[in-house]
Amino acid sequence: MAVQKTSIWQKTPQMVLSALLVATVAVPLGCRPQNGTGNTDVKVLNYFRTATYKSLDPPKQFDAASAEIIETVYDSLLDYHYLKRPYELAPTLLEEMPELGEDKLTYTFKLQKGIKFHDDPCFPDGKGRELTADDVIYTIKRFSDVNVNPQTYPALLQNRIKGLDAFREKTRQQKTLDYAEESVAGLEKVDSHTFKIVMTEPDPLLLMSFATSPLSIVPQEAVEKYGKGLDNRGVGTGPYTLAKSSRRGEVILKKNPNYHGKYPTAGEPEDQSKGLLTKAGEQLPFIDEIRLPLIEEAQPRMLKFRSGEFDWIGIDRDNFPNMAYKDEKGFHLKEEFAEQFEIYSADDLASFYITINFRDKILGQNKALRQALAYAVDTQAIIDKMANGRGYALNTIVPLPIAGSEDSIAAQWYPHDLQKAKEKLQEAGYPEGQGLPPLVVLYGSATTQTRQSHEFLRAQFAKVGIQLKPEYLSFSDYLRRKEAGSFQLASGGWGADYPDAENFYQLFYSPNKAPGPNDGSYNNPEYDQLYEQMRRMPPGPERNQVISKMAAIFKEDAPIFSITMPIVVGMHQKWLLNLKRNVMLGAHFQFLDIDTQAKAKGLK
Amino acid sequence: MPRIHINNLYWEAAQQLSRRKIVLVCLGIIAIYMLVALLGIFGLLPDYQTRVSTGYEAPALEFAKLLGTDIFGRSVLYKILAGTKTAMLIGVLVTSISVPTGVILGALAGYYGGIVDIGVVWLYTVISSVPYILMVIAISYVIGKGLVAICLAMGFLGWVGLCRLIRSEVLKTRNLEYIAAARVIGANDAQIIFSHILPNVVHLAIISASLQILGAIKSEVILTFLNVGIQDGSSWGSMIADATGELVQGIWWPLAGVVLAMFLIIYALNVVSDALRDALDPKLRGSTEMAADNAQFEVKETAVQKA
Amino acid sequence: MVGYTLRRLLYIIPTILGVAVLVFVLFTVAGEDPVRVALGQHATPQAIADLEALWGLDKPLWQQFLDFLGQIVTFNYGDSYFTGEVLSEAFASGALVSLSLTLPPFVLGLGLNIAIAMMIAYFRETWIDRFATATAVISMSFSYLVYIIAMQYFLAYELEWFPINGYAQGWDAIPYLALPWLIILLVSIGPDVRIYRTIFLNEMQANYVRTARAKGVSERSVLFTHILKNAMIPILTFTIVAVPFLILGSFLMERFFSIPGLGDLMLTAINNGDFPVLKGMTMYITITYALFNLLTDLFIAAVDPRVKLN
Repeated sequence: MAVQKTSIWQKTPQMVLSALLVATVAVPLGCRPQNGTGNTDVKVLNYFRTATYKSLDPPKQFDAASAEIIETVYDSLLDYHYLKRPYELAPTLLEEMPELGEDKLTYTFKLQKGIKFHDDPCFPDGKGRELTADDVIYTIKRFSDVNVNPQTYPALLQNRIKGLDAFREKTRQQKTLDYAEESVAGLEKVDSHTFKIVMTEPDPLLLMSFATSPLSIVPQEAVEKYGKGLDNRGVGTGPYTLAKSSRRGEVILKKNPNYHGKYPTAGEPEDQSKGLLTKAGEQLPFIDEIRLPLIEEAQPRMLKFRSGEFDWIGIDRDNFPNMAYKDEKGFHLKEEFAEQFEIYSADDLASFYITINFRDKILGQNKALRQALAYAVDTQAIIDKMANGRGYALNTIVPLPIAGSEDSIAAQWYPHDLQKAKEKLQEAGYPEGQGLPPLVVLYGSATTQTRQSHEFLRAQFAKVGIQLKPEYLSFSDYLRRKEAGSFQLASGGWGADYPDAENFYQLFYSPNKAPGPNDGSYNNPEYDQLYEQMRRMPPGPERNQVISKMAAIFKEDAPIFSITMPIVVGMHQKWLLNLKRNVMLGAHFQFLDIDTQAKAKGLK
Repeated sequence: MPRIHINNLYWEAAQQLSRRKIVLVCLGIIAIYMLVALLGIFGLLPDYQTRVSTGYEAPALEFAKLLGTDIFGRSVLYKILAGTKTAMLIGVLVTSISVPTGVILGALAGYYGGIVDIGVVWLYTVISSVPYILMVIAISYVIGKGLVAICLAMGFLGWVGLCRLIRSEVLKTRNLEYIAAARVIGANDAQIIFSHILPNVVHLAIISASLQILGAIKSEVILTFLNVGIQDGSSWGSMIADATGELVQGIWWPLAGVVLAMFLIIYALNVVSDALRDALDPKLRGSTEMAADNAQFEVKETAVQKA
Repeated sequence: MVGYTLRRLLYIIPTILGVAVLVFVLFTVAGEDPVRVALGQHATPQAIADLEALWGLDKPLWQQFLDFLGQIVTFNYGDSYFTGEVLSEAFASGALVSLSLTLPPFVLGLGLNIAIAMMIAYFRETWIDRFATATAVISMSFSYLVYIIAMQYFLAYELEWFPINGYAQGWDAIPYLALPWLIILLVSIGPDVRIYRTIFLNEMQANYVRTARAKGVSERSVLFTHILKNAMIPILTFTIVAVPFLILGSFLMERFFSIPGLGDLMLTAINNGDFPVLKGMTMYITITYALFNLLTDLFIAAVDPRVKLN
């Protein structure tokens, strides 16, 4: 068909549509989203969330995303001191640290007077009332109710408070129990601001349970009025109120003008010179508003930080090489960034390792083989390559700034030594790796990070003749296999529930074997005995001696290898003040301050 | 249509195809990829785990470093070759499940009608009502992850489009006179289906096959990117997944390499399927319905890609 | 017509039943175990048992299935395991967001691609046609992923023409949606234009077109009055088929651009084994899809005299 000249008519639809297309693109170009204006009267913290929260109702969660908000809106009886290291407890809602009675079983708690809940419609005439001992007892009972909290009770309060386990059992039988009717022997109210907690046996670690977000104090009126709605609302005594909660959108927190807390007056020696004590003793919080949009991808977050839209961010693996570097003295920003931002680093209270299954025929009885595995790995190299050096190769399973870690105990893990690895391999009956079938490692995800870490490990083992194969499972399958004890090697790790070595040594206590946290089913009677001894001792040189022995036995048996502790590295804008990364606190927004003039200038 | 005409159709089609140079080039590309895949299956490809360098290196003139190296110093080129094997394998496996299934079920449904028809239609309606990605992921949970699982999952879902087409074609032709004539002579159902009806619809299967291979390759990439597919890092999907983080560091060559490799084979398959369709589909010069039905293919494929 | 409609509506029931069984089997029997995912490192046998009781997962399977059927009928899928959100609310807000992502480029694309296809069909066999077809094929040969990664990197990160990702409520969302819209539109041009072009070409071959031309009707008139109208039927047929899936958003887009839509919700639910969400979403889609199919068929029957309902 010959081409005919087309009249303007026929071209019209195309033209109109093209114009539309151009408009669609041009309009947004013109309107970039506006940020906070230069209003220097209101202090606004622009930060973000990286994951959706599970629930804002304290006993129903134990994930970092939820804890971050809960710890800002609610208070727990105790909390970790913001500035002091190693981490130690400080009384938040109490006048002083609880007193331990002569019987070593009873703690007496004295609540501060005049602490008020937030104003909220659940209270008569909308005004928050004063916090009393009844609220604490109610909170603990509710926390122990299996219908409210099937999840965190065993780890935090099981078998520790007199009569509480029986109470929990009762809630299992009767789905709705009136808490007021059921008294618990171990929860004694003395007066409106004093109460006692009686333990089942002396336990130096009980107080740490009361510093966790699930045991934040919740008023009964809020539960009665909102019920399930508490998943998305907060009525607490915390430094901020939840002005707007949105699972996938922006969470907005506003300053609680009646907050009782004050900025700490003491800290570590260097804190003074770093300016972290300028506001000592002052009324908290300083920042008026906190905005937390949800941004799940790392790249966009970093870009917003660099343009000043966020005040603070952690540095992830991909951005690290562009912006920072590590030397013997620590982590530093590259020159062009050092003008605008400050860098910080903090040890994370978690350790990661590869678990060996003692039930496995090949590995379980062959100590030399396990030791060979430990010698073959160059843990520091993995950290340097896979995590930009943001980690530390531990010598015991306990991460560093914790009572009972290698800071106070002389312990040395296996160094990377290929020669020794080969010798051990020979001793194990597999010279040069001959006769050893490929070993299989279980992983709970198949992300780039996991796959690359595995590849690194595989290449290292290949150097001594050991073959390593990966099995990438879905997270729940991975958990299931570990519970069933059906694996050879598995990637594993543990995040500290509380900052004490006991939380990590319990991972290898034989009664905790699979399906418990001791997934490798490690079993050494001497170790067990020492653990039981250590568990009841308060932290100190005596306990450290016991731990020392445990660490030696542990090393000899080599039930794990490649132990690493992550180091959290991040940056903040120069106008963000008072930031000292505290990994035991879910959030520490209340201590932060903003130089609004500097921020307004920086955003232009 | 008696046999002779059909043979002529294919012969003419082949002639038509060979006349267009670009089609020949694309067939060549496909052949090269198949060859690489075969080499991979027989273990003749260079081992992609070998370290040719200690870390990232931009493309250089050495063979192994033609496309640069990755974080461990492995050759991007070798990884792509390994990925080619995976991709072609998947393409072929998925197609060999979905095409026969689609043809058989479509023919049976179209020919027998009645309860068989209702059953098949119900089956594919149910399957196509569930979002594709959801199904594949769910199925891979049942069967496990890995190559076979993904192929089974995609094959299990991919027969629907072809089945619909075959069914409607068979519905149209089963009442034609020559079929009735065959029955009069005494041919039984099986003979009728195989000797008379199927040959008329095979061209649809061929076109569909080429589109399926294409679709499978593209889908696998997305699925692996979502951590559902091949796990051992030798697929193009995992290379793309790794690449996102690398781009920011200024490391563009792994992504560029994968994109190039994918582009060539997908483009070649696209061109060839188009050419096949032009050549084999006699209805192109005719009814709108047919074209619309054909178009349904593409919708299904793009629906996945747009997921 | 009425009889046909009623029969079709009735036919939807076995379809829904089939999907329900499929979904139930897939997500209850297979899939992530939501209890273990929720408990993580604190998954002791007692905790697992307690949580299962809380979520009703300890009931026998057949009973869980019946409960599920009940949910479908009442359109109440309960609450998400993980977010505790009432699902109907979560769906509603997610659906709105997803639609804001997929609907504008869909509508725009429809118009744009039809126009382009018509133009190409008009210029068929010329270099314009060949060039356009080749471009379409080339653009189809890149993975969707690559488009997203590349365009986000170059246009948002390097050139900073668009915000990198995020979302806002109401009209403020437009700057954030602009780049995703652009990408969706671009990716759709290739395949859609080819399909429409084929349809137009076919129409052009039809007898009535030759007749019209022979009668001396102008080319413009032929195009607009006759071909376009008749071609709309097949075009609409499969366009409408895609509509129910618009509500699912695009989970790749939503993930890369942090858009809180249904696609992202689905992906998260898959990873967490959040059954209520998955079951609910699938059933909603199924029912919508079936209804849409019915509507399309009815529409075609009404509009196209050649079609007989049977």
